[in-house]
Amino acid sequence: MSDLWSRVEPLLAGVERPTRYINSEWGARHGDADYRVALVYPDAYEIGMANQALQILYDRFGAIDGVAAERVFVPWTDMADAMRAAAVPLYTLESCTPVSACDLVGITLPYELTYQNILEVLDLAGIPLRAADRAENDPLVIGGGPCAFNPEPMAPFFDAILVGDGEDAAAEIVSAHRLAIASGLSRAETLAALARVPGVYVPALYEPQYEDGVFVGVTASADAPAVVRKRVLADLDTYRSPICTVVPFMDVVHDRAGVEVLRGCARGCRFCQAGMVYRPVRERSADSIVRDATAALQCTGYDEVSLTSLSTADHSQLEDVLRRLSRRLEGTGVTVSLPSLRVDAFNVQVARLLGGGKKTGLTFAPEAGTQRLRNVINKNVTEEDLLRTVTQAFSAGWRRVKLYFMIGLPTETDEDITGIGELVGRVFRAAREVTPPGERGGMRVAVSVSTFVPKAHTPFQWEAQIPLEEVRRRQALLRASMPGKGVDLSYHDSDVSFLEGVLSRGGREVADVIEAAWRGGARFDAWTEEFKPQRWAAAFEETGIDPTTIANRVRRVDETLPWDHISVGVTRAYLRIERDNALAAQTTVDCTFDGCTGCGVCGSSLVANILAGERRG
Amino acid sequence: MADTTFRLRVRYGKTGRLRFLSHLEVVHGLERAARRAGLPYAVTKGFSPHMKISFGPALPVGTAGLGEYLDVWLRSYVASEDALALLVGASADGLAPEAVRYVPDREASLGAILTIAKYDVVLEGGPALPEGLRSSFAAIIAEGVLAVEHKGKQKIFELASTLPKEPVVSTDGGRTTVGLTVRIGERGSLRPEALVTAALTREALDGRIASVTRTELLVEEDGSWRAPL
Ligand code: SF4
Repeated sequence: MSDLWSRVEPLLAGVERPTRYINSEWGARHGDADYRVALVYPDAYEIGMANQALQILYDRFGAIDGVAAERVFVPWTDMADAMRAAAVPLYTLESCTPVSACDLVGITLPYELTYQNILEVLDLAGIPLRAADRAENDPLVIGGGPCAFNPEPMAPFFDAILVGDGEDAAAEIVSAHRLAIASGLSRAETLAALARVPGVYVPALYEPQYEDGVFVGVTASADAPAVVRKRVLADLDTYRSPICTVVPFMDVVHDRAGVEVLRGCARGCRFCQAGMVYRPVRERSADSIVRDATAALQCTGYDEVSLTSLSTADHSQLEDVLRRLSRRLEGTGVTVSLPSLRVDAFNVQVARLLGGGKKTGLTFAPEAGTQRLRNVINKNVTEEDLLRTVTQAFSAGWRRVKLYFMIGLPTETDEDITGIGELVGRVFRAAREVTPPGERGGMRVAVSVSTFVPKAHTPFQWEAQIPLEEVRRRQALLRASMPGKGVDLSYHDSDVSFLEGVLSRGGREVADVIEAAWRGGARFDAWTEEFKPQRWAAAFEETGIDPTTIANRVRRVDETLPWDHISVGVTRAYLRIERDNALAAQTTVDCTFDGCTGCGVCGSSLVANILAGERRG
Repeated sequence: MADTTFRLRVRYGKTGRLRFLSHLEVVHGLERAARRAGLPYAVTKGFSPHMKISFGPALPVGTAGLGEYLDVWLRSYVASEDALALLVGASADGLAPEAVRYVPDREASLGAILTIAKYDVVLEGGPALPEGLRSSFAAIIAEGVLAVEHKGKQKIFELASTLPKEPVVSTDGGRTTVGLTVRIGERGSLRPEALVTAALTREALDGRIASVTRTELLVEEDGSWRAPL
């Protein structure tokens, strides 16, 4: 294997933050292998190193005999330019092997705005962008992750895409590929073999069909299943949480050890894709959380461990876990943190156990300003809950709270928007009442407002995203309704939300737009200072695709959708019922607290919710 | 009694690929190594308790260091050879502890006592480079002051105090090495690249800096120099 280090090193004096490119971290694994996997996270080092899925896959691939898993991140623009100028191809960090010389290139699809970075990676690696153009000896390019549930916009760039949990599938994919190599199969035959691995979608085997220019579905070739069902790891405790992870020197986001305490969330918020696609709920046991958190801290030397998941506060044994961990960590300066707390799950007890909580402040997501609209989206939080929680927190010494809201939710009226401002005002007054007069100057309520983006596989997958002009009008209305003092209002960039909407519900035709945007210079679009909406406007123009027909159009509920051949287990019938409930402002319970609500996941995947104890509402 | 701590001084190197780390990255990396080593480190009191540790003068990104220092305070005594073995076992290659010794707690901070730094600056360039550098340095020193621009600010260095020894230029094959001894003043120190670049520019010499290594840090006491450990 050629080691590119001697050609990389001279470039480093001229680039910012060279730590991104030098490997050598504690926990990085080096070893001989006959099969090399490049694990690509399509963003900068400091973002990708915080990704837990990457650490899990690093473990799982690395555990296979004879396999080396090595990390790859997107070089920042200065480094990418330097590499192109010096004709240095993209390399894996651990062994400095050219990515194109690996057997498998696994690429995470973490969020839509990294799509152009994936093309940047392939191009820097010297791998043809489109699967159809790859030769026999090019590596297999396989995607997976949160955006795999509507893989169509990126489908032409991948040989295969894994839908769902990767823990077990990793080894199955490698062994299918090794078998194919050993039997001398051609690339096409190899892809057909991969399509037989459950959860693996091979786009080349599915041809989109159009009638009068309207998408009417895909036809699957004889070798491939008509519907690809997501993989589900039945029990999270099958594998330990990654313990001896790679510990970056660089200051990365979420620079701490992490233990995934549960996967899935059944609260049933109707706008939330994660809540629909990661069902059922699987909790790790308290014993294994405490054991793995302790071991991870010891092995990595971090001073913080985070208990991660979509809704950590729902874990049935959270208090027990926190009590045991804080006892063990006493006097070491090491803290435990949670990614966020929900209003209804907050209690001062939990917050106190978290020690560090006061300096970071608390975050809550009421999402909507009126009870009616919260019922529509099934955010089962009342204003009473919110005010009680804030009162408790500020009485206990907290001085800062951050509230998340969305505008543009289905059925939203101007009243719902001004309702946000009024609610924030009541929160502020409630907090002020219990704050000693001398400390009121330090009180802060941060309000962060994003634009609702309808997502595939949710009850709102048929809805229109509100057009940009309307977003601006509603933002202005909101600003006018907001109490001024002590409140910091911030918006998510509406151009970004619009693009996210197009990329998340588009079909395969959107691939041309992504490629055109990348050719026009789009890179690191998730970074505010790098995002240039004009590049995308030019790409839509060039490809003749009208983005508003994707983002801003209401779909008929019987319309064929680009992701209909991908199944997350939640049935379409359930999504339709949930949509009807939404429009009637009827709420639906959480099946981990009350009974099954019939979403279909458990039956279709032969899995079930796994709770470590009893959940209390 | 409960508050007795033991001040352990650690000499470490920042070499190889890890010379590209920033000072903050070095700090994080070594704090984590101390935690992995399982040393009974003391924790500061107050709102956000953290490890009691302090570092010598920072090294910039790209500059290697052969003898860098930190002090870490321990809650209980660990034999120095054991402490060193634990640290070495928990450290990445390239950022590795090499020697340790307990020092009196009343001693001033590393930042205050480490005032002499020695550097090797390696250059690539034409055959006339060594001689050119020698005469250029002599001319600069004769002027007595050096003005350096850094990040838009100008700093003036009094060379009589900043350069306690004259630069030594030596050659080995195609490479020229400049040995510099710099006194770290209260208001910052002269970066070796700045002095060497000034020398190159002054006589329009054909040369390029290939690497910078801080080889030693010393304590200056009553006119003589000693190693801090
Ligand atoms: S099938 Fe029933 S129990 Fe299973 S996740 Fe769906 S609603 Fe919950």
